[in-house]
Amino acid sequence: MRKLATILSYPRFRWITAGVTGLYLILFLIALQEISLGGQGFSFVSVDWTQMFDRTGTVTFEAIAMVTVPGLTIIISPLNILIGLVISVLVGLNLMITYIAYYQPRACSFNRSTGVLASFPALLAGGACCAPAIILILGIQVSSLMMTVFQVLIPVAIALLLLTLKLILDRTDPALLQLNQKQEKATT
Amino acid sequence: MLSFRQFVVGAAAAVIMGGGAYLASEGADTGPPDPVLPLADQPYVVTDDLSAYRRAMMSGGPPPDGIPAIDNPEFLEAADANLDPNDKVIGYYHNGEARAYPQNIMVYHEIVNDRVGGKNVAVTYCPLTATSQGFKRGETTLGVSGQLLNSNLVLFDRETESYFSQINATGLQGTHEGETLDEVNLYWTTWERWRNAHPDTKVLSENTGHVRNYNNDPYGSYNPIGGYYQSNNVMFPLMHESNRHHNKEMVVGARTSDASVYFLLEDLESERVQHTGDFVAVYDERLDTGYIYATAEGANVTALDDGTYEVDGQSYAAGELPFDQLVAVEAFHFAWYAFYPDSDTV
Repeated sequence: MRKLATILSYPRFRWITAGVTGLYLILFLIALQEISLGGQGFSFVSVDWTQMFDRTGTVTFEAIAMVTVPGLTIIISPLNILIGLVISVLVGLNLMITYIAYYQPRACSFNRSTGVLASFPALLAGGACCAPAIILILGIQVSSLMMTVFQVLIPVAIALLLLTLKLILDRTDPALLQLNQKQEKATT
Repeated sequence: MLSFRQFVVGAAAAVIMGGGAYLASEGADTGPPDPVLPLADQPYVVTDDLSAYRRAMMSGGPPPDGIPAIDNPEFLEAADANLDPNDKVIGYYHNGEARAYPQNIMVYHEIVNDRVGGKNVAVTYCPLTATSQGFKRGETTLGVSGQLLNSNLVLFDRETESYFSQINATGLQGTHEGETLDEVNLYWTTWERWRNAHPDTKVLSENTGHVRNYNNDPYGSYNPIGGYYQSNNVMFPLMHESNRHHNKEMVVGARTSDASVYFLLEDLESERVQHTGDFVAVYDERLDTGYIYATAEGANVTALDDGTYEVDGQSYAAGELPFDQLVAVEAFHFAWYAFYPDSDTV
């Protein structure tokens, strides 16, 4: 955690993490169809907040409010947003370290291509939320086994993102990063 | 003034008489109690063993009630409904009351536990197979199990947790295994046609108690037709498959205790009357649907120019022919075939 805090003390890495996290969360919610285009007029609908704990899937939950503005509809499912945020932060951190491995390889004791491997769990996490949409778009027939895999994709993606984050952090030296930043400052 | 002895004797007599009357009234009520879930007297024919159905049943993703049925439906007057004339609705009419259940709401809930014309019914809809079917529900309510069989909705009785396949209305597991739900006729039609036929219809409100974007069908669109509803793709495995027609070609089918039958809706529309075996189907222009009757082979039905049908020199509306009318179910061809590969057809 100390290494992570050190890395995130640099504004550049904070911004990369925040940017990827925000973008990924939006994509996650679009994939769940909780953000969609095509709203008409202004409206706000809400129901009993305790429904937020009702499951709609293995790890997806009920919405409790919907905001519509012209051209956009946003459904608010607090637990889905929370799950999306956890995945997005993990994807953001993984991709930020991948970025370090790629552009500042001296700070990481693994080579560039290995660093890129850290982004694979991010893709898997993407599959976790996009699977139903992908099935519909591509017209794939889903077997019982595939359905079982889809149902555990989100927890598996979270576990893998945590694992890769730990592995790449163990091989990253923030002290060398600091040097790199000083170099950056010196050149700018 | 009563003596103490008279009071005791009188009280004892009253207790004995009262008790006797109570016992007599209990004994008089010997009829069977109303069923919690009404079932059909004659089960529908089933093609495969129940064990084969159970093996083919698979999760569609959501847990039981993860797709929430509408248990306390609210309704609007027809004039207040925000529907396009060509939007699809599921219609039900009973005992002077008409209901329209818009497809854009049903796609998110699949079941409405309603009471119409004094009868408790569950109006059910499966978007993957385009089947809308109504079942008497008695005192129980039906829910969406989250399981699929042949891409089709598997519903469950919340009282006994028995699972039923929607299309063949048959109990797959639980207390009612092998039994058939008591089905009522629904209509899969457009808002314009339903409203013209039933101007006083009530329309299911979007105030369902759940938050959904009812303007965004996750599968595609019916107005205009597009997405899953138009493509030849089927999302989940089928027990029986046929290439005879496009998978999403609409058919109208029916079953009895020993046979099943289907007609292509488009062919029925152009020919208006079709026979096969002991079944006859006629087209109803008013609702763009078909009615199926069990009848003796060779029954003579003639389509008249005014949209009615002539039988033995008398004219009848499409839904009132003097034969045994069966519950007619509209479905994508692939779905009907997956359950009834041996169906009679033209």
